[in-house]
Amino acid sequence: MTRFLINRAITALISILGVMVIVFVIMRLSGDPTLLLAPQGASAQDIERLRHELGFDQPIAMQFFQYMWMVLHFDYGTSFVQRIPVLTIIGSRLPYTLWLALTALAFAITIGLLIGIASAARRGGWIERLLLPLILVGQSLPTFWSGILLIMLFSVHLGWLPSSGADQASSVILPALALGALSMATFARIARTAVIDELSKDYVRAIRAKGIGETRVILTHVLRNASIPVITIAAIEIANLLAGSAIVETVFAWPGLGQLAVQTITGRDFLVAQALVLIAAITYIVLNFIADLLYSLVDPRICLGARGR
Amino acid sequence: MKFLGDIMKLHKLGLALITGLALASTSALTQVSAQTKDALSIDLPNEPGNLDPHGQYDTDSYGVYRNIFDNLVTRDVSGKIIPKVATSWTYASDTVLDFTLRSDIKFHDGTPLTAEDVAFSITRIINPAFKSPQLANFNSITKAEVTGPGKVRVTTASPYPVLLAQLVNMSIVPKAYVEKVGDVQFNLQPIGSGPYKFSSWQKGARVVLEANDTYWEGKPPFKTVTFNNVPNTATRIADLKTGRADIIRFLTADDAVQIKADPALKLLTAETERIGYLFVNALATPTKDVRVRKAIAMGIDRNLIISALLGGYGKQVDIIGAPSIFGYTPDVKGYPFDPAGARELLKQAGAVGAELTFLTSPAYDQRIVQAIQQMLNDIGLKVTISSSDQRTFLQKRQGNPEEAGSLAYGVWSCACQDEDGIILPLFKTGTIWSKYSNPEFDKAVTAARETLKEDERLKNYAKAHAFIKEDVPGVGLYQFVALYASRKELQWTPTANEAFFINQMKWQN
Repeated sequence: MTRFLINRAITALISILGVMVIVFVIMRLSGDPTLLLAPQGASAQDIERLRHELGFDQPIAMQFFQYMWMVLHFDYGTSFVQRIPVLTIIGSRLPYTLWLALTALAFAITIGLLIGIASAARRGGWIERLLLPLILVGQSLPTFWSGILLIMLFSVHLGWLPSSGADQASSVILPALALGALSMATFARIARTAVIDELSKDYVRAIRAKGIGETRVILTHVLRNASIPVITIAAIEIANLLAGSAIVETVFAWPGLGQLAVQTITGRDFLVAQALVLIAAITYIVLNFIADLLYSLVDPRICLGARGR
Repeated sequence: MKFLGDIMKLHKLGLALITGLALASTSALTQVSAQTKDALSIDLPNEPGNLDPHGQYDTDSYGVYRNIFDNLVTRDVSGKIIPKVATSWTYASDTVLDFTLRSDIKFHDGTPLTAEDVAFSITRIINPAFKSPQLANFNSITKAEVTGPGKVRVTTASPYPVLLAQLVNMSIVPKAYVEKVGDVQFNLQPIGSGPYKFSSWQKGARVVLEANDTYWEGKPPFKTVTFNNVPNTATRIADLKTGRADIIRFLTADDAVQIKADPALKLLTAETERIGYLFVNALATPTKDVRVRKAIAMGIDRNLIISALLGGYGKQVDIIGAPSIFGYTPDVKGYPFDPAGARELLKQAGAVGAELTFLTSPAYDQRIVQAIQQMLNDIGLKVTISSSDQRTFLQKRQGNPEEAGSLAYGVWSCACQDEDGIILPLFKTGTIWSKYSNPEFDKAVTAARETLKEDERLKNYAKAHAFIKEDVPGVGLYQFVALYASRKELQWTPTANEAFFINQMKWQN
């Protein structure tokens, strides 16, 4: 277990460093933000002076080491565009992204699993014929379109829910629906396959032979074994939800990290964009790590870090 | 079957939950509309970059912070420069301008606004170490000093006729407070002297301002004003329809149709100082031949662009300028749309089938770019569109003439309503935008910049516009019309400089 943790920590550090180098170099190769910050009538001298003041006239390697030195001291710099420390900007936005992503995930898992399990339990029933294709459609719709449709229906026509923003508890419903729809079908399909797979196994026949009801067979015995692929997918889906939130947050004017990412990348607000990528990379790595730990919790047969069997 | 029953129970629970939430939010919505009489809610397409008026000055930032601060001078609805913090000004010499200030203005923390604050504000923005993106607008100023109580003297390196027009954008910040809390904290908790006090800024979501009831020009019209950041246009329109927003900014002609169809809403328009223009490379590529450039000017149907693509929200221009911009001349006429004449010219120049590169980026209306491409192909050119991201586009467009392509479409504004900020940076030999060189043109725009005499300046700009017509380094296409939409009850007349002064808005009774 200790060996596993150490290995994992080293791989994680290397991945994060790699991501940082790639993002840092790509953003700078495609140009610095000086031209976007300067007024339209600025002369070549004005632009050169601003570039110098911002430090973009130094070699990329130099800029990179300076940046890494800052990061090691937990200093992520100050946004060129907003003139506010990067951590303050991100700190104020992070709770909103978590709120949205977790609501969307809860929503996707609950409905996805229910439909998946029900369609596996009663193969060929109306759930499998009607609901499964329906949520597949939900997954296929681009969120910038389905989001607007949801606003049109629930806010403009019915007047039930706020059309944008995040100032009421009910504000989260529409964006979470739009975002959750992206993962719901995935959860349903994975759960369905896993349950069907388990149902054909010997132990299920044995329990059934003992006369235990079908609901209990599924809920207490099959689900536990079927949950391993679901956990893996959940870890990947959280990452997908974070990525998908860029569009959903923009459509619903949700003040989270996704919208911030769009804003900073088009404005080439380097330091904010770099910090965002760093956070995303760390989130992804941590989630995968947690998924690995959960496996052994759910299924003691999976032993982490053991060499060979 | 029992299993299905369980699911059905859950389903009912979920339905009850959703209905409950929906009811709760409906009551929340009615609450919001009940307060609207003394509150105003605005949807902006972007979050303000910052609230420090000496930092970013994009339309969304200054739309917010100009309500918190007072400017040294301002423009009235007709565009004339009128007193604000400064009551009067006189030129001591061609390079020295003396201002007399009001003495009854107080900052929101109760301290009076003095000459010290004005001198500090100007000195702050021209300090290179402050890294203001606006520096280029003010770097002709060499010094700002206090010459007595309520007196400030501004010195420029050379005579600079656009100084007052630039100072329209100069907000006065409180010296003592800025020095006490520092630049970062000032940006987060700004204090000004304007009609609205800063209340809160929830990053990415909204900025809330509160009325400054003791404002020297009188009590402001709304108790609270909220600026929401809503990037998606369709969402802004939905907000307006549901009453979440009272006024929204930045719409297209297609959106305008939708607004007009709703009896509860109205469309507000303003002819701005932004001019849509086509850049034509006069130094390199096949457009080096002036006959090709003239053919291009003759081959573009400006009226069709305005009526078909801009929904009529645009005004045809003959020059790169408009009546609201200083240096405008009605005497220079544009080329009439004449495709047959254009084809003839191209034949004479031996340029039929010449290959032209049209540089652009997604920041520009691609429909207009494609329409121009089609119009020019129709007269016998072969135009290829080369689109890249805005930064790369700027780098090419501002770089060597050989790599700047033959054509580029742009919408230009200097936020100063003066040709000195338009045709000089666009076409004077050696500026980053210019791909044109004519010593006579250079002489005219330089002369216009170096004198304070208005009639002399106007004469020189008329000359300069005539050179542009003759040499075609660019073609004026249309004057940009800004579109806003609001609830029917809101009264407001938007202005040419796209200022967003809440004090000029009110509810109609």
